[in-house]
Amino acid sequence: MPLLEVRDLEAGYGPIRALDRVSLDVEDGELVALIGANGAGKTTLLMAISGVVPPRSGSIRFAGSPLAAAKPHEVMRLGIGHAPEGRRIFPRLTVRENLELGGFMQTDRAKLSRDIDEACGLFPVLGERMDQLGGTLSGGEQQMLAIARALVGHPRLLLLDEPSLGLAPLIVAKVFEVIASLSARGISVLLVEQNARAALKLAHRGYVLETGRITLTGSGAELAADRRVRDAYLGEG
Amino acid sequence: MVFFLQQCLIGLTNGALVAMVALGYTMVYGIIRLINFAHGDLIMLGACLALTLVSVLGMAAWTGTATWLGVALLVLLCGLFCGGLNVAVDRLVYRPLRNAPKLAPLVSAIGVSFIFMNLGLFWLGPADRSFPELLPATNLLAGEGLQFTAKDLLVIVVVVPLMIALSVLVKTTRLGKAMRAVSQDPTAAALVGIDVDRVIAATFFVGGFLGGAASVIYGLYINTIGFQMGFQNGLYAFTAAVLGGIGSIPGAVVGGLVIGLVRALSSAYVGERWAGAIVFAILIVILVFRPEGLLGRGTKEKV
Repeated sequence: MPLLEVRDLEAGYGPIRALDRVSLDVEDGELVALIGANGAGKTTLLMAISGVVPPRSGSIRFAGSPLAAAKPHEVMRLGIGHAPEGRRIFPRLTVRENLELGGFMQTDRAKLSRDIDEACGLFPVLGERMDQLGGTLSGGEQQMLAIARALVGHPRLLLLDEPSLGLAPLIVAKVFEVIASLSARGISVLLVEQNARAALKLAHRGYVLETGRITLTGSGAELAADRRVRDAYLGEG
Repeated sequence: MVFFLQQCLIGLTNGALVAMVALGYTMVYGIIRLINFAHGDLIMLGACLALTLVSVLGMAAWTGTATWLGVALLVLLCGLFCGGLNVAVDRLVYRPLRNAPKLAPLVSAIGVSFIFMNLGLFWLGPADRSFPELLPATNLLAGEGLQFTAKDLLVIVVVVPLMIALSVLVKTTRLGKAMRAVSQDPTAAALVGIDVDRVIAATFFVGGFLGGAASVIYGLYINTIGFQMGFQNGLYAFTAAVLGGIGSIPGAVVGGLVIGLVRALSSAYVGERWAGAIVFAILIVILVFRPEGLLGRGTKEKV
């Protein structure tokens, strides 16, 4: 049984149908990339998994338990971490407070502090910025904070939404390096990316989402070699 | 000089009372961007309960320490009552409208205000009621000059610890951190595992509790309550919250104190009937030059 199992999921906003019978799996330990154009429904899919956008029909199961009617905080407590699109760190809280909130479920303070140190181990720059307000960090640092915040709660599945968006190439490389190392440590990752090339290179498997539908799926290498993917998302052809 | 200091003292004590009510506005606004028009009337209901308790317990006959313990009990019970009522209103009225257009909860808040006012009318009757003088009006300071009575002391011993407690709660506790997170980005807060609805309910409780405490002090300090008191006091407190920067907790305190001082000084030096006009004229001037209020945040933020 896959760790995350999405079946025939439909969701939308008012009259707009953002997801049309989407089915997708993430196996334990797998890194799955979800690529697609702006407005294809990638963020909506992650938000539906997290319980922020209520599904209209279909099912979501995580580690065997159904998620469809769960509220976001209940979903997070089951072991999902979500670094949302646009980073959405808390701008007027310090870096430390942001990270402490990432471990909101952890009530043992000593344990929480160890978890924070551990998450910062991946991003040493955060350790130097602990008492700075989140809003004063650079874009790249904010992205690292968003990922670190999602990791403090020790998720089994990490949802990453456009982690490279708006970052300088050097920082992008660093972020992808960290994603690879998380995956190597056995954390399952569902990665939404505009940077399809880098995402597919890293991913075990990938899905292509177009106007709310999954149109292609395969291993990362297969998708990267696919004519249609190359034309539409890799800027070739 | 003594006259001036006396007016300042009156202004500060009145202002502390305004600030307590303003905190309820600013906290709820900070967390769900709702101007809770029912907050003033909630405090009126707190005063109704305080009056009823005073009569039922026969507190007018109590003296010395018993009186002060009785006052503490009143603060606690009225605080719990207003806090609980505020949570109930959030649960029944505002929560179902959480994702509705902003105007829907706003209009509902006005509706709740009317319901509360009518409950107050039912509870107190149409006429103003006098609230028993439980605390002696004797001057605690030596000499002929400045008057500082047990009532003034009451305001300080209730307001100061509550404000310190509030500041500790918001700055250092897990709940306080969650409150600040929800006020900055509710979706991101939910995505780190915060039960947003519970944090909002807790905020309504704290705001209501402070209002309930304020209602007791109001009764004991002003000594007249009526079913319409919520409107005017609510208006001043709301003004204080806006003046200080709505959403800002220190702002509500500063705004309350400023309004108390301005009202007292203009009553003393210009005339009682001008006090309201001067308060609002100052509000307008400040908002022209600092639309975000004295301690409010600018809208510019790095994204």
